[in-house]
Amino acid sequence: MTRPRPLRPLLPLALVLVLTLAVTPGGAQSPQPKYGGVLVTAPLTATPSLSLHEESTVATTQQASPCYNNLVYFDPAKKQESLDTLIPELAEKWSWQDNHRNLVFFLRRDVGWHDGKPFSSRDVKYTFDMVRGAPDAAARLKVNPRKLWYENIEAIETPDPATVVFRLKRPQPSLLLMLASGYSPVYPAHVPLAELKNKCIGTGPFKLKENRPGEYVEYVKNPDYFVKGRPYLDGLKFVVIRDRSTQIAAVQSRQLDVAGSGWNRTNAEDAKAGAPKLVVVEMDNNVNDNILINFKRPPFNDRRVRQAINLALDRKAYLVGPRQGAATFGGALLPRPAGVWGLPAAEVTKLPGMGDAARQKAEARKLLAEAGFGPGNPLKLTLSTRALAIYVDTASWMVDQLQQIGVEATLEQIESGVWHPKMTRLEYQVALNLTGIGVDDPDAQLFENYRCGSQRNFSGYCSEEIDRLMIEQSQTLDRAKRLALVNEIDRKLQADAARPILGWAKQHWVMWPHVKGWVVHENSIYNVSRRQDVWLDK
Amino acid sequence: MRVYVLKRLVIAGVTLLGMSVLIFVLMRLAPGNITDIIFESAGYVDEADRRRLEIELGIDRPVPVQYARWLGDFLRGELGKSYRYDLPAWEVIKPRLPVTLELAVLSLGFSVLLGVPTGVISAVRRGRPLDYLLRVVSLAGLSMPSFWLGMVVILALVRSLGWIPSMTYVSPFENLGANLFQFVLPSLAVGYRSSALIMRITRSTMLEVLREDYIRTAWAKGQRERLVVWRHALKNASLPVVTIIGIEFAFLIGGLIVTETVFNLPGVARYLVDAILVRDYPIVQNLAMLIAVVVVLANLTVDLVYTWLDPRIKYGKA
Repeated sequence: MTRPRPLRPLLPLALVLVLTLAVTPGGAQSPQPKYGGVLVTAPLTATPSLSLHEESTVATTQQASPCYNNLVYFDPAKKQESLDTLIPELAEKWSWQDNHRNLVFFLRRDVGWHDGKPFSSRDVKYTFDMVRGAPDAAARLKVNPRKLWYENIEAIETPDPATVVFRLKRPQPSLLLMLASGYSPVYPAHVPLAELKNKCIGTGPFKLKENRPGEYVEYVKNPDYFVKGRPYLDGLKFVVIRDRSTQIAAVQSRQLDVAGSGWNRTNAEDAKAGAPKLVVVEMDNNVNDNILINFKRPPFNDRRVRQAINLALDRKAYLVGPRQGAATFGGALLPRPAGVWGLPAAEVTKLPGMGDAARQKAEARKLLAEAGFGPGNPLKLTLSTRALAIYVDTASWMVDQLQQIGVEATLEQIESGVWHPKMTRLEYQVALNLTGIGVDDPDAQLFENYRCGSQRNFSGYCSEEIDRLMIEQSQTLDRAKRLALVNEIDRKLQADAARPILGWAKQHWVMWPHVKGWVVHENSIYNVSRRQDVWLDK
Repeated sequence: MRVYVLKRLVIAGVTLLGMSVLIFVLMRLAPGNITDIIFESAGYVDEADRRRLEIELGIDRPVPVQYARWLGDFLRGELGKSYRYDLPAWEVIKPRLPVTLELAVLSLGFSVLLGVPTGVISAVRRGRPLDYLLRVVSLAGLSMPSFWLGMVVILALVRSLGWIPSMTYVSPFENLGANLFQFVLPSLAVGYRSSALIMRITRSTMLEVLREDYIRTAWAKGQRERLVVWRHALKNASLPVVTIIGIEFAFLIGGLIVTETVFNLPGVARYLVDAILVRDYPIVQNLAMLIAVVVVLANLTVDLVYTWLDPRIKYGKA
């Protein structure tokens, strides 16, 4: 007689579970986070100021985000940012009301500013009235790069110190994503705006210790941080090192714990070659190389000319050449799986420039001939780009590609300081540009770069149909329907050769193994710099 | 002498006035202004906001008015406000001056300590193996840009020792040892190039002086070599050397941009270039003027040192 063994059927399951835990890194006994230590890293560049609402460079989000909080933020632990990865920060919870016309935030009551003043709904109203440029705003930003994000807000109300209501002109589910961006911290209403350029009074995990403009920004732990047990670090220091070789030497010599902002694959490999213990992280990046073709200047208003230029640029050659094997391809929105809203992979392979190079170049020549250009009357153009290596490398490659279809292209390097002003005024013919997308969301990417009259619509592209579809997708609540609409817009943009995308670059970080919790997101570089969960295993 | 100094001061004043015009005009000739740069970093341009900023910063006024206002402020010691950082210009410049001065002085010190003796030895041992060796070393110094040498030294150190000098500036008032440690490599890298120049000038002038009758007389009198070479010959050969040292010092004050970048030293040279790129007019104009003042003073000092080195030189007489 055998003994009954009721758990026997579960044995295979248990075995699978044990094996899975054994082979999965996360399944291994995770080390307990340790408190203490100062993490030193190098930002992309010196930040022009610490005022996040007035700047548009990742250098500022890197160096100012540890000081502030948003109403909501993207979960640092999740690689992909989306509506599903939002976590509360200053807002304990939120609620859509009145058919998505009102967005109500219920604020934490235990939050204080670094100078000891209490945080309240007044600060939220002050911040977002200022950013949206409300006529009765208490402060006015001299430069307001993200006003467009908040143009759908009709009013902000504060029924009590712990409640804020954003009243919208139309439903806009993506508003939450913009509010979660690293560019959307809540500012203190009691501190004059001008003071926040060089100092920082936030509610965040780190308090400013010293800001030496152009040299370093140093933080110390905020002992009163409202997230109990955070941050782990005693301090955080951003040392500006301009020279890339010096950055590599600094991380190899352990003067930096983490480096890599703005690095390419070769930089990361060089660093690891000299210090094999360094951990390299290569990940997608919501930054694209795009071609600006001036719609206001003939013959570039001719769709055939634009399509010819787009077809001539062999994307496979782009990948192995300027991007050294580290890029992905897609349409106007970051391709999946890293991106949320990109075209399906099957469609991406059929985009202009993705097919057989010889055949596409022949097709490009045919289109140019139809537009009146050929060996006897070659298309002559000036290809403008920013006088920075990362731009010039790709633009030089473009000149060569265009010459292969008989286009006589001349490279013009524009000094970095006047690049955007020149692009805004459409003072170019064709240009190679890099665009970083603040939030992986159609409302951020499409409205900024493709809408008629947008200040960042550098190609002068304007289509009433696209504008209508943009508004439609923006207020569509069903996510599948919205994705279909967004893909439809993307297809039309690609067919129109409106700001063709060459590719989406990858980011490369290197860090010493003792750095834990330094996460990198695959669909944005701007929204991951709070660093309250980073710790040093020393 | 007093008349000469007064004359030189007047000439220096005129030179500085000319410099001020040049600096001011050159900055205005560069494309774009600070408002372009501010919007550049914002990634777009709002023309109405840009215009508002121009008025606020006073750069909407006619250029001569802007020049007169700046010059008046400079003469009164008011350096204005950094457009970029929204901080008083002096507050931004002040911490950077000692960094560059220290680097320049240490580099120059090293170059003199190395350049003058090797130049003398090379001249005295002319045509011998030691002379050839020293000339090769000096030629190498002239051929290698200091920033390249600095980078090679950094790479060699990190590869062999896993160590490089601190990437964050350490003030001598905080920790003198650490500060000197940080400055040794960059000043050696910069000083080596300057020392090569000084060595070659010293060698050629020493060769000339060593052929002079009074040196031959000294040898004939049985004077010791040390006395002949170091006291009689070197003192008389030192005028061109002092001139070169003065020029080198002036060059070092404004010309250390790449070395400061490679060694991540927050000096004025690196900052001046940053300020030019962002059209931070108050910083560029005031900093360039301060450098011009140092250059003019260095030259004046060199001229005055001549009289001490060679008592036959009398200023103020036709």
